[in-house]
Amino acid sequence: MRTDPPSQLPGGVARIPQGDEAELAARARAGDRAAFGTLVERFAAQARRVARAVLQNPDDADDAAQDAFLSALVKLDQYDPRRPFGPWLMRIVANAATDRRRRRAVRQTEPLAPELAGGASHPDHDAELRVLGERLRVALAQLPERRRLAVVLFDVEGYSHAEIADILGIPEGTARSEVFHARRALRVLLQDWKEEG
Amino acid sequence: MKEPSLPFDHRPDPELGAALRAALEPGDPAAFVARVLARAEGRGGHATWEILARWARAGIAAAAAAALVAGFAVGRVMQSPTTLDDVMVASASAGANALLSSPRAPDASVVFTSLVERDR
Repeated sequence: MRTDPPSQLPGGVARIPQGDEAELAARARAGDRAAFGTLVERFAAQARRVARAVLQNPDDADDAAQDAFLSALVKLDQYDPRRPFGPWLMRIVANAATDRRRRRAVRQTEPLAPELAGGASHPDHDAELRVLGERLRVALAQLPERRRLAVVLFDVEGYSHAEIADILGIPEGTARSEVFHARRALRVLLQDWKEEG
Repeated sequence: MKEPSLPFDHRPDPELGAALRAALEPGDPAAFVARVLARAEGRGGHATWEILARWARAGIAAAAAAALVAGFAVGRVMQSPTTLDDVMVASASAGANALLSSPRAPDASVVFTSLVERDR
Protein backbone atom coordinates (compact mmCIF):
# COMPACT_ATOMS: atom_id res chain seq x y z
CA MET A 1 0.00 0.00 0.00
CA ARG A 2 1.35 3.34 -0.99
CA THR A 3 1.78 5.57 2.01
CA ASP A 4 2.97 8.67 0.28
CA PRO A 5 0.86 11.64 1.19
CA PRO A 6 -0.84 13.52 -1.59
CA SER A 7 0.95 16.51 -3.00
CA GLN A 8 -2.06 18.66 -2.19
CA LEU A 9 -3.01 18.21 1.41
CA PRO A 10 -6.47 19.05 2.68
CA GLY A 11 -6.88 22.40 4.31
CA GLY A 12 -4.80 24.20 1.72
CA VAL A 13 -1.56 22.67 2.96
CA ALA A 14 0.35 21.96 -0.22
CA ARG A 15 3.49 20.00 -0.49
CA ILE A 16 6.20 21.75 -2.45
CA PRO A 17 5.93 20.27 -5.94
CA GLN A 18 8.93 18.36 -7.20
CA GLY A 19 10.19 19.20 -10.60
CA ASP A 20 12.81 21.73 -11.40
CA GLU A 21 14.72 21.62 -8.14
CA ALA A 22 17.43 19.41 -9.60
CA GLU A 23 17.93 21.93 -12.37
CA LEU A 24 17.92 24.82 -9.91
CA ALA A 25 20.46 22.99 -7.76
CA ALA A 26 22.68 22.36 -10.77
CA ARG A 27 22.51 26.02 -11.75
CA ALA A 28 23.20 27.15 -8.18
CA ARG A 29 26.17 24.82 -8.07
CA ALA A 30 27.47 26.41 -11.26
CA GLY A 31 27.30 29.81 -9.56
CA ASP A 32 23.82 30.99 -10.53
CA ARG A 33 22.79 33.07 -7.53
CA ALA A 34 19.26 33.55 -8.76
CA ALA A 35 18.77 29.78 -8.84
CA PHE A 36 19.98 29.50 -5.27
CA GLY A 37 17.66 32.34 -4.33
CA THR A 38 14.72 30.49 -5.83
CA LEU A 39 15.56 27.38 -3.83
CA VAL A 40 15.80 29.44 -0.64
CA GLU A 41 12.48 31.14 -1.31
CA ARG A 42 10.82 27.85 -2.08
CA PHE A 43 12.05 25.99 0.99
CA ALA A 44 12.51 28.77 3.53
CA ALA A 45 9.21 28.35 5.37
CA GLN A 46 9.54 24.59 5.48
CA ALA A 47 13.13 24.73 6.71
CA ARG A 48 12.21 27.23 9.43
CA ARG A 49 9.29 25.12 10.65
CA VAL A 50 11.38 21.96 10.75
CA ALA A 51 14.16 23.76 12.60
CA ARG A 52 11.63 25.19 15.03
CA ALA A 53 10.30 21.72 15.71
CA VAL A 54 13.77 20.93 17.08
CA LEU A 55 14.72 24.21 18.70
CA GLN A 56 11.40 25.74 19.77
CA ASN A 57 12.86 29.21 19.94
CA PRO A 58 12.11 30.96 16.61
CA ASP A 59 15.37 32.93 16.53
CA ASP A 60 17.45 29.82 17.12
CA ALA A 61 15.39 28.04 14.50
CA ASP A 62 16.01 30.77 11.94
CA ASP A 63 19.74 30.68 12.68
CA ALA A 64 19.75 26.92 12.17
CA ALA A 65 17.73 27.17 8.97
CA GLN A 66 20.14 29.78 7.67
CA ASP A 67 23.13 27.59 8.57
CA ALA A 68 21.44 24.76 6.72
CA PHE A 69 20.94 26.76 3.52
CA LEU A 70 24.55 27.94 3.55
CA SER A 71 25.74 24.43 4.25
CA ALA A 72 23.57 23.10 1.43
CA LEU A 73 25.09 25.67 -0.93
CA VAL A 74 28.56 24.39 -0.16
CA LYS A 75 27.44 20.75 -0.39
CA LEU A 76 25.46 21.03 -3.61
CA ASP A 77 27.97 18.80 -5.36
CA GLN A 78 26.85 16.00 -3.02
CA TYR A 79 23.20 16.29 -4.04
CA ASP A 80 22.00 13.49 -6.30
CA PRO A 81 19.77 15.18 -8.90
CA ARG A 82 17.90 11.93 -9.53
CA ARG A 83 16.37 12.24 -6.07
CA PRO A 84 14.00 14.90 -4.73
CA PHE A 85 15.68 17.97 -3.35
CA GLY A 86 13.37 18.47 -0.36
CA PRO A 87 14.37 15.44 1.70
CA TRP A 88 18.05 16.11 1.00
CA LEU A 89 17.71 19.68 2.22
CA MET A 90 15.55 18.75 5.21
CA ARG A 91 18.19 16.30 6.33
CA ILE A 92 20.68 19.15 6.41
CA VAL A 93 18.15 21.34 8.22
CA ALA A 94 17.43 18.68 10.85
CA ASN A 95 21.15 18.12 11.39
CA ALA A 96 21.85 21.85 11.63
CA ALA A 97 19.07 22.29 14.17
CA THR A 98 20.22 19.31 16.22
CA ASP A 99 23.83 20.51 16.13
CA ARG A 100 22.79 23.96 17.27
CA ARG A 101 20.75 22.53 20.11
CA ARG A 102 23.69 20.46 21.24
CA ARG A 103 26.27 23.22 20.88
CA ARG A 104 24.69 25.76 23.09
CA ALA A 105 22.14 26.10 25.79
CA VAL A 106 19.02 26.75 23.86
CA ARG A 107 16.82 29.44 25.19
CA GLN A 108 13.94 27.72 26.86
CA THR A 109 10.41 28.12 25.69
CA GLU A 110 8.65 30.71 27.78
CA PRO A 111 6.56 29.11 30.48
CA LEU A 112 2.96 28.79 29.54
CA ALA A 113 1.00 31.80 30.71
CA PRO A 114 -1.77 30.94 33.14
CA GLU A 115 -4.44 32.02 30.70
CA LEU A 116 -2.98 29.65 28.13
CA ALA A 117 -2.69 26.69 30.43
CA GLY A 118 -6.21 25.53 29.76
CA GLY A 119 -9.70 26.29 30.90
CA ALA A 120 -9.43 29.91 29.89
CA SER A 121 -12.24 31.63 28.08
CA HIS A 122 -11.56 32.41 24.39
CA PRO A 123 -12.55 36.00 23.67
CA ASP A 124 -12.07 35.72 19.94
CA HIS A 125 -10.93 33.36 17.27
CA ASP A 126 -7.41 34.79 16.92
CA ALA A 127 -6.86 34.50 20.63
CA GLU A 128 -8.11 30.93 20.50
CA LEU A 129 -5.66 30.10 17.77
CA ARG A 130 -2.84 31.72 19.71
CA VAL A 131 -3.75 29.64 22.72
CA LEU A 132 -3.85 26.48 20.65
CA GLY A 133 -0.57 27.32 18.96
CA GLU A 134 1.17 27.92 22.26
CA ARG A 135 -0.20 24.75 23.76
CA LEU A 136 0.81 22.75 20.70
CA ARG A 137 4.33 24.15 20.85
CA VAL A 138 4.59 23.23 24.51
CA ALA A 139 3.22 19.75 23.83
CA LEU A 140 5.56 19.35 20.90
CA ALA A 141 8.51 20.37 23.06
CA GLN A 142 7.70 17.58 25.47
CA LEU A 143 8.05 14.94 22.77
CA PRO A 144 11.41 13.38 21.95
CA GLU A 145 13.19 15.33 19.23
CA ARG A 146 12.95 12.63 16.58
CA ARG A 147 9.23 12.27 17.22
CA ARG A 148 8.70 16.00 16.86
CA LEU A 149 10.53 16.04 13.58
CA ALA A 150 8.68 13.00 12.29
CA VAL A 151 5.21 14.38 12.93
CA VAL A 152 6.04 17.80 11.52
CA LEU A 153 7.62 16.31 8.41
CA PHE A 154 4.61 14.02 7.88
CA ASP A 155 1.57 16.06 8.86
CA VAL A 156 2.81 19.57 8.12
CA GLU A 157 5.29 19.14 5.28
CA GLY A 158 3.71 16.12 3.62
CA TYR A 159 6.75 13.86 3.41
CA SER A 160 6.21 10.12 3.20
CA HIS A 161 7.35 7.70 5.87
CA ALA A 162 10.13 6.53 3.55
CA GLU A 163 11.34 10.08 3.00
CA ILE A 164 11.21 10.81 6.72
CA ALA A 165 13.23 7.68 7.34
CA ASP A 166 15.78 8.96 4.85
CA ILE A 167 15.85 12.44 6.38
CA LEU A 168 16.24 11.18 9.94
CA GLY A 169 18.48 8.23 9.08
CA ILE A 170 16.17 5.68 10.65
CA PRO A 171 14.27 2.62 9.36
CA GLU A 172 10.93 3.34 7.73
CA GLY A 173 9.07 1.34 10.38
CA THR A 174 10.63 3.51 13.06
CA ALA A 175 9.59 6.66 11.22
CA ARG A 176 6.04 5.33 11.02
CA SER A 177 6.06 4.53 14.73
CA GLU A 178 7.40 7.97 15.65
CA VAL A 179 4.65 9.68 13.67
CA PHE A 180 2.03 7.46 15.26
CA HIS A 181 3.14 8.17 18.84
CA ALA A 182 3.53 11.90 18.26
CA ARG A 183 0.07 12.15 16.76
CA ARG A 184 -1.48 10.24 19.60
CA ALA A 185 -0.05 12.72 22.12
CA LEU A 186 -0.92 15.80 20.09
CA ARG A 187 -4.43 14.65 19.21
CA VAL A 188 -5.30 14.37 22.87
CA LEU A 189 -4.32 17.99 23.32
CA LEU A 190 -6.23 19.03 20.22
CA GLN A 191 -9.32 17.16 21.37
CA ASP A 192 -9.18 18.75 24.83
CA TRP A 193 -8.92 22.17 23.26
CA LYS A 194 -11.94 21.53 21.07
CA GLU A 195 -13.97 20.33 24.02
CA GLU A 196 -12.98 23.40 26.00
CA GLY A 197 -14.11 25.59 23.14
CA MET B 1 3.48 -4.41 22.44
CA LYS B 2 2.96 -3.66 18.80
CA GLU B 3 0.78 -0.66 18.17
CA PRO B 4 -2.33 -1.32 16.13
CA SER B 5 -2.10 -0.12 12.57
CA LEU B 6 -4.73 2.53 12.09
CA PRO B 7 -5.87 3.96 8.76
CA PHE B 8 -5.10 7.53 9.78
CA ASP B 9 -1.52 6.55 10.35
CA HIS B 10 -0.94 6.33 6.62
CA ARG B 11 -2.15 9.76 5.57
CA PRO B 12 -1.42 13.23 6.80
CA ASP B 13 -3.94 14.44 9.34
CA PRO B 14 -5.19 17.74 7.89
CA GLU B 15 -6.53 19.06 11.17
CA LEU B 16 -3.43 18.30 13.18
CA GLY B 17 -1.20 19.38 10.30
CA ALA B 18 -2.92 22.75 9.98
CA ALA B 19 -2.77 23.34 13.73
CA LEU B 20 0.91 22.43 13.87
CA ARG B 21 1.67 24.53 10.84
CA ALA B 22 0.00 27.53 12.45
CA ALA B 23 1.89 26.90 15.69
CA LEU B 24 5.26 26.69 13.91
CA GLU B 25 4.63 29.31 11.26
CA PRO B 26 7.64 31.59 11.03
CA GLY B 27 7.29 35.31 10.60
CA ASP B 28 8.37 37.56 7.74
CA PRO B 29 9.49 35.14 5.03
CA ALA B 30 10.94 37.89 2.84
CA ALA B 31 13.27 39.10 5.59
CA PHE B 32 14.53 35.59 6.20
CA VAL B 33 15.20 34.94 2.52
CA ALA B 34 17.00 38.27 2.22
CA ARG B 35 19.09 37.44 5.27
CA VAL B 36 20.14 34.04 3.90
CA LEU B 37 21.00 35.46 0.50
CA ALA B 38 22.97 38.28 2.11
CA ARG B 39 24.92 35.74 4.13
CA ALA B 40 25.51 33.70 1.00
CA GLU B 41 26.85 36.81 -0.64
CA GLY B 42 29.34 36.89 2.17
CA ARG B 43 30.49 38.69 5.23
CA GLY B 44 32.52 41.87 5.03
CA GLY B 45 32.05 42.26 1.33
CA HIS B 46 33.53 38.86 0.46
CA ALA B 47 30.99 36.89 -1.45
CA THR B 48 30.78 33.18 -0.68
CA TRP B 49 30.90 32.55 -4.38
CA GLU B 50 34.05 34.63 -4.70
CA ILE B 51 35.60 32.86 -1.72
CA LEU B 52 34.83 29.51 -3.28
CA ALA B 53 36.29 30.72 -6.57
CA ARG B 54 39.35 32.03 -4.74
CA TRP B 55 39.77 28.66 -3.06
CA ALA B 56 39.58 27.08 -6.46
CA ARG B 57 42.18 29.48 -7.85
CA ALA B 58 44.44 28.91 -4.84
CA GLY B 59 44.01 25.18 -5.28
CA ILE B 60 44.98 25.40 -8.93
CA ALA B 61 48.02 27.55 -8.10
CA ALA B 62 49.09 25.15 -5.35
CA ALA B 63 48.65 22.18 -7.67
CA ALA B 64 50.69 23.94 -10.38
CA ALA B 65 53.47 24.76 -7.89
CA ALA B 66 53.50 21.18 -6.62
CA ALA B 67 53.65 19.86 -10.18
CA LEU B 68 56.58 22.21 -10.92
CA VAL B 69 58.51 21.05 -7.87
CA ALA B 70 57.73 17.42 -8.61
CA GLY B 71 58.78 17.87 -12.23
CA PHE B 72 62.07 19.46 -11.19
CA ALA B 73 62.78 16.63 -8.75
CA VAL B 74 61.94 13.98 -11.32
CA GLY B 75 64.04 15.81 -13.88
CA ARG B 76 67.03 15.76 -11.59
CA VAL B 77 66.64 12.05 -10.97
CA MET B 78 66.22 11.39 -14.67
CA GLN B 79 69.40 13.24 -15.55
CA SER B 80 72.27 11.09 -16.88
CA PRO B 81 74.07 9.21 -14.12
CA THR B 82 77.65 9.92 -13.07
CA THR B 83 79.76 9.07 -16.07
CA LEU B 84 83.00 7.22 -16.33
CA ASP B 85 84.72 10.46 -17.32
CA ASP B 86 83.61 12.10 -14.07
CA VAL B 87 85.47 9.43 -12.19
CA MET B 88 88.48 9.22 -14.49
CA VAL B 89 89.32 12.90 -14.04
CA ALA B 90 89.32 12.50 -10.31
CA SER B 91 92.04 10.87 -8.27
CA ALA B 92 91.60 7.36 -6.92
CA SER B 93 90.15 8.56 -3.65
CA ALA B 94 88.23 11.33 -5.32
CA GLY B 95 86.50 8.70 -7.48
CA ALA B 96 84.84 7.25 -4.45
CA ASN B 97 84.00 10.76 -3.24
CA ALA B 98 82.43 11.57 -6.55
CA LEU B 99 80.26 8.50 -6.23
CA LEU B 100 79.23 9.20 -2.66
CA SER B 101 78.65 12.89 -3.01
CA SER B 102 76.82 12.81 -6.29
CA PRO B 103 73.07 13.26 -5.95
CA ARG B 104 72.64 11.24 -9.09
CA ALA B 105 72.63 7.47 -9.33
CA PRO B 106 75.84 6.04 -10.79
CA ASP B 107 75.78 3.69 -13.72
CA ALA B 108 77.34 0.26 -13.55
CA SER B 109 80.56 1.30 -15.28
CA VAL B 110 81.28 3.86 -12.56
CA VAL B 111 80.82 1.32 -9.83
CA PHE B 112 83.07 -1.09 -11.66
CA THR B 113 85.78 1.56 -12.14
CA SER B 114 85.63 2.46 -8.50
CA LEU B 115 86.16 -1.13 -7.50
CA VAL B 116 89.12 -1.47 -9.87
CA GLU B 117 90.72 1.64 -8.40
CA ARG B 118 90.35 0.26 -4.90
CA ASP B 119 92.07 -3.01 -5.90
CA ARG B 120 95.10 -1.26 -7.41
